Amino acid sequence: MGRKVAIAGVGLTKCSSHRKDVTYPELVYEAVSAALADAGIGFEQIDAVVYGSMDTFGGVFAPERWCVDSCVSAGFLNKPMLKITTGGTTGGSIALGAYYHVGSGMFDVVLAVASERVGEGLEAQLVLNTAVDPIYERWIGAGAITIAANQASSHFHYYGTTQEDLAMVAAKNYANALNNPYAHLQRHLTVEDALRSRMVSWPLRLSDCCPSSDGACAIIFASEKRARQIAKQPAWVRGAGQITDNYFAVDRPWFHDWDSLAMLARRVYKLAKISDPMDEIQVAEPYVAFSIQEILEYEALGFAEPGKGAELIRKGVTAMTGKVPFCPSGGTLCTNPIGATGLVRVAEAALQVMDNADKRQVPNVKTALAHSWGAVVGFHTMMILDKEAP
Amino acid sequence: MNRRVAIVGVGQTRHAEFRNDRIYWENDYEATKLALEVAALDKGQIDTVISSGWDAVDGRTISDMHTCMGIGGYLKDSAHVGEDGILALAYAYLRIASGQFDTAVVSGHGHREASLEAMSKVVYDPLFTRPVGANYLASLAMQANAYAQRHGVGQDSAAKVVVKNRANGVHNPYAHLKAPVTLEDVLGSGWVAYPLRTLDCPPDSVGGVALVLAAEENVKRITDKPVWVKGIGWAIEGYYLGSKDLSEMPSLAAAAQRAYSMAGIKRPLEELDVAEIHEPTSYHELMAYEALGLAAAGQGARLIDEGATERGGKLPVNMSGGALSTNLLGASGLVRAAEATLQLRGEAHGRQVAGAKLALAHGFSSLTGAASPTNCVVVLEKG
Repeated sequence: MGRKVAIAGVGLTKCSSHRKDVTYPELVYEAVSAALADAGIGFEQIDAVVYGSMDTFGGVFAPERWCVDSCVSAGFLNKPMLKITTGGTTGGSIALGAYYHVGSGMFDVVLAVASERVGEGLEAQLVLNTAVDPIYERWIGAGAITIAANQASSHFHYYGTTQEDLAMVAAKNYANALNNPYAHLQRHLTVEDALRSRMVSWPLRLSDCCPSSDGACAIIFASEKRARQIAKQPAWVRGAGQITDNYFAVDRPWFHDWDSLAMLARRVYKLAKISDPMDEIQVAEPYVAFSIQEILEYEALGFAEPGKGAELIRKGVTAMTGKVPFCPSGGTLCTNPIGATGLVRVAEAALQVMDNADKRQVPNVKTALAHSWGAVVGFHTMMILDKEAP
Repeated sequence: MNRRVAIVGVGQTRHAEFRNDRIYWENDYEATKLALEVAALDKGQIDTVISSGWDAVDGRTISDMHTCMGIGGYLKDSAHVGEDGILALAYAYLRIASGQFDTAVVSGHGHREASLEAMSKVVYDPLFTRPVGANYLASLAMQANAYAQRHGVGQDSAAKVVVKNRANGVHNPYAHLKAPVTLEDVLGSGWVAYPLRTLDCPPDSVGGVALVLAAEENVKRITDKPVWVKGIGWAIEGYYLGSKDLSEMPSLAAAAQRAYSMAGIKRPLEELDVAEIHEPTSYHELMAYEALGLAAAGQGARLIDEGATERGGKLPVNMSGGALSTNLLGASGLVRAAEATLQLRGEAHGRQVAGAKLALAHGFSSLTGAASPTNCVVVLEKG
C-alpha cells in the first residue's frame, strides 16, 4: 500500500451568486493564500498542483490557465499541474488526485485547488443538459433538478417520505449555514417557509434546490513526515474512492435507492476499516444539492436502513445537536460553486477533524466523512478523514 | 516511487479526417478494446480508468460520463483529466504507483465537435488577450515567429520537419495523412498565420488511442513485452503571451528535466533510441529539440539539417509521422506514448527503429496555444 497522506491546510472563499469584487485569478488566489496561511507554509513548498473546475459552467474556458499563477506561481515556476474535470464530483476527484499524487511517493506537498465562476456563465441547467444524450434524453429536459425530482417522487412512492421531511432537511441546513461565514445563502428558513416556497420540479421546491455560486477552495495534502511538521492536527486520509454508474439516467429506474453510492460506501468503509458508520463517524459533509438527497445518503452511506432515512431528520439525529450532524456548514444546499463544491465538502470535513470549524464545529470529532456526486447522479466520490494516522 | 509501472497494452483506431459513423466516445471504446486484446485482459480485470480531453471540444459537459463508460469504467473508480491524454497516462501512473490500484486503462480521442478558433478565443482573459484576436493557432504562430527571429531559423528548416514527418507517416497504417510532401509543396502552401503555412500545421483528425498500465507485481502474469515507465514529468507555463519570452518552451524543459532525472538520463541524444515529439506546428518540433536537451539553444535546426532525427539518423523523431500526419486534438500526446510503446514492443512494422530499447514520448497539452501549455515527457524502457 501507498504512503500515509494527510490534509495539512485548508482555504475557503466567501461564496455568492457573483463575486464581482474580484477577478477570476483573484478569487483563486484568495483560496490558495488562505490555505497556505492555514498551513503556515510558503508557496515554494508546494511540489505540484491539482486543479478542478467545470469549465463549461463559467464564462472563460480552461480557467486554470488564466489562474495558473494564482496557484503558487505554478506557471512562472513551471510546476507540475494536472487538471481534472468530472462534473459535480470535480472537487472530490481532485481531492483524490492530490491524495494519489502524494501516495505515489512522487510528491510530498500537493495543492488541490478548485474554482467556479458561475456568475459569468450561462444558466447552469442549460449547460448540464448538454451532458445527456442528444437523442434519448436531452429533449426531456434532463439535468440535475429533474433527476433529483425523480429521486424524491420515487422515495415518496416507495418509502412514504413527505414534503415535510424535505422541508426539515432544508431548514436544518439553512440554519447551519448561518454559522458558516463562507456560505452563499445565509438566511433563516423555517419548515413553514420551506413548504411555502415556489415549486420548481415536483416535489422539489426552491428551498429544496441548491443555488449556483462563485467560489473557490484550496487544500494542502502532505506526506506523513511533512504533514506532522506542518499541521498541529492533520486530517489523515483513512480511505477514499470513486464510483462510476452508467450514463443513461433512464436506465436506472431505481431512483429511491442510491445503489452506486451504497456500493462505494462499502468499498471505502472497508479501506477505512469502518464497520458501523453511525458509531464510528461523528460528522458528515455529504453532497446535498437537493434536500431529498440527504435522505437517500443517510441510507446509502449506512446511517439508516433503506427506506428509513427520513426518520433521522424527524428525530434530529443529523442536527447540530444530534448524534451525527450532517452538513454542519449548511452544505451544498446553501453553497454550490459547481466544480469546487466537492472540494469544499472535503475542506469542511477536514476543518471538523482539525478542530478548526469555529462556530460550526461539532464537538469531539475523531472521524469525518466527505462525499460528492456528479454527472446525472452517476458519479460519487468519498473520503474518510481522521484525527489519527491510519 | 513506491513501485514500478509498465504499459502492457496499446491500441489505436485508424485515424481519419471524418467519421460520421460514431460518437466521440466510440473512438475511446474501439481503442480500449484493441488495447485490452493486446494485454489479453478482460475489462473486469481493470481497476481504474482515466479518460481525457476537453469538454468544450467534445461539445458537451461532463464528457467522461460517456468516455469512462466506453472504456470499461462501469462501477469502477474513474477520473477524467481535462488535458491531452498523455496527462491521463501520468495520472494513471500516480494511481498505480500509490499502491491503491494494480491495473488501469487510459484513453483519449480526437473528435472535434466545436470550432477550435471560436473555442480557443474564450480561453483567453476577456480584458487583455481576447481583444488582440489571439486564438490557439495565432498564438503558436507568434511563438514560431519569436523563435525563428531570435535564432535566425529559416522557413526551409521548419519545412524539412514537415517533409520528414509526412514521409514517415507513409509507413504508418494508422496515420491520417499518408501522402508524402516535398520541400516545394510546403514552401508553396498558403499562409495560415505568419510564419506558418498550411503544411506547417497539423491536420484535424478523428480517432482514439488507449493504453493499459499495470503494477510491477502484475506485469509478469500479463505480458512478456512490458514497456516500463522509467521517467515521467510534466509542467505548466505562465499565461500572458506578452509576459514571457515566447521563443522558449520552459515548461517542456522543466518536464524533461524531471523525467530525465527520474530515468537517470544525462545525455538524451546519445542515450535515447527513438523519440515521439508532439509538434503542434513544424517550428515546435525544432523548439522541442532544444527544450528536450537534444540540441543547444538555437541549434534545433541543425539536427534536422544534418538528418539526425530522420529515419536512420542518430535519434529518429516521429517515425509515426507525428502530429503533422495525425492530430487528435486532446490525444496527440497520448498517441506519441502509444507509438513509443509500439517501438519498444518491436511492433512498429514499417516505421520500426531496429533494436529500440529506450524511447521518449512528449505531449503538448494546451487549448491556449502558446499561453500556458502543459508539457509532459515520458521515458519508456523495453522490459
